[in-house]
Amino acid sequence: MAVALPDVTTYPLRLASPLALFFAAFFAAPLVALLGLSLQGPDGHLGLSQYAAFLSDGFSLGVLLGTLWLGLKVTAACLVLGLPLALVATRAGGWVRGVIILAVLTPLLTSVVIRTFAWIVILGRQGVVNSLLSSLGLIETPLRMLYAEGGLVAALAQVQMPLMVLPLMTALSRIDPSLWDASEALGAGRWRTFVRVTLPLCLPGLIAGAVLTFAAAISGFITQSLIGGGQMLFMPGYIYQQAIALQNWPFAAAMSVVFLVAVLAVVLAFNALGRLARGYAQT
Amino acid sequence: MLDRRTLLTTALSLGAMELFPGLSFAQARPLVFATFTGSWEEAHKAVLVPAFRKETNNAPIVLDPMLSVDQIAKVSAAKSNPPIDVMLHDPGPALTALAQDLVEPFPVERSAAFKDLIPDAQDPNGPAAFFQVVGLTYNPDTVKTPPTSWADLWRPEYKGRVGITNMNSTLGTGFMVEIAKMHGGSESNIDPAFKAMEQLKPNLSAVAANPGALATLFQQGQVDISPGNFNAIQILKAKGVPVEFVAPKEGAIAFKTLIQIVKNSPNRELAFKLIEAAISEPVQTRLMQAPYLVVPTNTKVKMTGEIARVLAKDTDDLKKKFVFQDWKTINAQRPAWIERFNREIKL
Repeated sequence: MAVALPDVTTYPLRLASPLALFFAAFFAAPLVALLGLSLQGPDGHLGLSQYAAFLSDGFSLGVLLGTLWLGLKVTAACLVLGLPLALVATRAGGWVRGVIILAVLTPLLTSVVIRTFAWIVILGRQGVVNSLLSSLGLIETPLRMLYAEGGLVAALAQVQMPLMVLPLMTALSRIDPSLWDASEALGAGRWRTFVRVTLPLCLPGLIAGAVLTFAAAISGFITQSLIGGGQMLFMPGYIYQQAIALQNWPFAAAMSVVFLVAVLAVVLAFNALGRLARGYAQT
Repeated sequence: MLDRRTLLTTALSLGAMELFPGLSFAQARPLVFATFTGSWEEAHKAVLVPAFRKETNNAPIVLDPMLSVDQIAKVSAAKSNPPIDVMLHDPGPALTALAQDLVEPFPVERSAAFKDLIPDAQDPNGPAAFFQVVGLTYNPDTVKTPPTSWADLWRPEYKGRVGITNMNSTLGTGFMVEIAKMHGGSESNIDPAFKAMEQLKPNLSAVAANPGALATLFQQGQVDISPGNFNAIQILKAKGVPVEFVAPKEGAIAFKTLIQIVKNSPNRELAFKLIEAAISEPVQTRLMQAPYLVVPTNTKVKMTGEIARVLAKDTDDLKKKFVFQDWKTINAQRPAWIERFNREIKL
């Protein structure tokens, strides 16, 4: 007698419906409204005039490119500093690992505003860095680090670092340690082992971390405005200025859509790079 | 009987009521007063709210601190059922609110305190509840001779030590207009100010995103001299930061801060009573004293303390020392100016 047993390997679609509804109401619908608003011309007619105004203006495009470039610099800084830390944390045992995890997690429990203010104290004219350098006699006048792009990259990198280190640690801890032993037993040096074994295997974590830090860095409104200041304009501040200070909602909406598309393009590029690199690593 | 389904429904509706309290209490919401953030909120909570409660037999009131521009955004997003009853605006945003038809006229004829206000503060669209004053701010430890004029910001000894804000804020825009006037410009001709900014660049240490960020830069020693808001400086001073305020000889820039009833407010009568309390002599007298140091608009208030020392001894003195700007003309061109500032002022 054949009794139709329920299929336990799949779940009915309706289990996902509450979250789907929530997303439709609070994510998709506002996004559609944003799109609609961005199509409103200055004279009230529907059209692409706001997009044309943004894309034909060298200054606006410069702000967009500058924002994406800032994101790439912060991501690179997080990668260069975060990867060694994640490697040490996964390979070290016991308390070292615990201390590193604690050090990575603690900043996440502190508000971004507070961490940013800490950077103002560190980077200022009479800040920690400047007073140390001048007491060592290395500089005569204080270096300009606050309200300068270098300081902003450093501050953003520190603020977003956990987003890079945590996915990397997860990916690295999934690698079977015997692979490293095997690689070395077969004659590969440390560097070769890192490039041919470790790096390809931790690529998913690396890409996840890069996408997270990139997205957080380019949208980090608080850090950008407090460390970057009022004359260094990035997309979040520019959109805020147009929407709130100037009440020019259609243009701000068009800018947001352009920004969203540009960010999606960069994220897709990250993923494509990852796929390419994986293919190369396996040959 | 309590089965799984009823339990779930109850939990969901309780959750919804928690998330959207307006659902169940749409009829009688308390009076919502959108004050400014920081010390303004504290001052209003400590002085204005108790006075209002006394007048209205403890009518419920909620303070919702936010910037003027955010108030306008919130109200214009829900014009027919506004989430705010009383707005507080600098002159620029006040005109924007009027232009967007978000304001109910103030019932002047019913008001007892309105006629006591300084003529400049008597605006039928919403009286000025206080003045905000912009002068020069400096660090007395590093700036030995107190500045006397806006022109002092250009002095070569302040190379790399001057702070300003961009034109998003009332302070930044008002400062630029004053600089334009000094060099032969006016509210309708800002060009001289932008030219002067070119020459100020070597002195600039920071272009802050907002007046609050500018004030904190004094704490870090990042800037030693800047245009500054009287109240923001008093807060810093109270915290022990070495900082002083002077009114420049050209006159301190004064902004009327208008208090307006929101159109379609369900609490019009309470809103009127709150404004009436805000412009009354007892409330303004109390707000003028430390630690609030709010500059009064009611002529019956006797100036004392820090305000009498650095700003004005009485209403006549105040009229002489304050410079009011034509915000109608300014507002028409402000978007273009902000765009120009974005493009031209790069350090």
